[in-house]
Amino acid sequence: MNLVLQRTHPAVRATLVGAYVLCVEWARVSIQAQPGLAIAALVIGGVALGAVALGTPADRLGLGTSRIAFRLLGGLALGAVLLLPAAARSSAVPILPAGLAVAAIAVSIGEELAFRGALYAALDELGGAPLAIGGSTVVWTAAHALSHPPAFLGAVAAAGLLLALWRWACRDLVAPIIGHVIADLAL
Amino acid sequence: MRRLALLAAAATTYVLAAWMVAPGFYDGFGPPQPYNWTCPPAQAGANTKPGPGHVDIKVVGGISDAASAYDRDGQIVIGFLPGAFDATGKTVVSVDVTPLPTCPQPPGIQFVTNIYQITASAPLVKSSDLVLRYSTLEPAPSDIYFASDPAGPWKGLGIAQQSQPFTVVASAKQLGYFAAGYPSASPPPGTPTVGGGSQTLPIIVAVLIVLVVLAGIPLAILRRRQSRGDVEEDGDV
Repeated sequence: MNLVLQRTHPAVRATLVGAYVLCVEWARVSIQAQPGLAIAALVIGGVALGAVALGTPADRLGLGTSRIAFRLLGGLALGAVLLLPAAARSSAVPILPAGLAVAAIAVSIGEELAFRGALYAALDELGGAPLAIGGSTVVWTAAHALSHPPAFLGAVAAAGLLLALWRWACRDLVAPIIGHVIADLAL
Repeated sequence: MRRLALLAAAATTYVLAAWMVAPGFYDGFGPPQPYNWTCPPAQAGANTKPGPGHVDIKVVGGISDAASAYDRDGQIVIGFLPGAFDATGKTVVSVDVTPLPTCPQPPGIQFVTNIYQITASAPLVKSSDLVLRYSTLEPAPSDIYFASDPAGPWKGLGIAQQSQPFTVVASAKQLGYFAAGYPSASPPPGTPTVGGGSQTLPIIVAVLIVLVVLAGIPLAILRRRQSRGDVEEDGDV
């Protein structure tokens, strides 16, 4: 399917990828609410999101081992920024049960591969960096509309914008993945 | 330089946006709404007292309907099957869910939720699933406890498979007082936890910042030397 996607017009590809990741995220959130299905929904949702990046060359996704020290360091820095507000406000610090850790890692990696990876690449090809940054942030925010109360969507959008800007400025997806995983494990 | 400035602006925007809502960025693992405490722990910050709930269950042909009773805050829900009550001679069964205004801590048990009293105008004759939500500020409970009187004795009902994050489920055979917790003689269940803890997260962030600064300086020097080397090599050519 992904190989077919790669041969379609960039506009069609971007639309299909955007619709796919939205559907997966909304389905994940709906299934997650069912008794006993939370962890399975998170893991399967993460894998389904990551699957959309299959077939896209690693360099177009921003993946690679060049400048690896810089990428790893960037991931730690992004994680620190994402956690900073919660760390400064000790009253809001949750404790994530260990059983959810694997699920948190799966969904974080899947989301980055889907939003800042495949969707960003498709939008970048269609309209360049501004469309890729703006479009991936809008779809990312919409994808979280079911799981987050409206008051939280500003913070979600700002996080998406920060991660997308890193993806653009450093042509790197490794750091957003690391930062996102750290933030999800801690929150 | 422009890219760096944009990144810094985005990071600042995020911190400001996240500061306006607690905890900031999260991916929907924890309940976004804060727990409403009868007796809030020190780290809870602003708190709204929990509220009661009430439901009237219709009785048709001597059999009570299926229904759920819950408190105002959605922190406790009990689901009744059809015929869950002995409703002989009744047309309605009234169920009340009331948070206990005090917080007794019986010996050997550490409660991590409020204590709720559930009463009904007819005796319960079928087991009913009870769901308790717990706060993100407390360790996960290992049991739901039941008592006929808040002074005790408290009896563990066990918990069924976790249905949703930060909730525990048990089967209740009778109505009375319910709370989730863990044996206080043992370490809090759920350990090792990932992240969390009012002291852990600031430490994690501090370590991340120190790592970034300590590793970033030599990395920046290295990159600068490399770029100088490239310029000199280009000059030689």
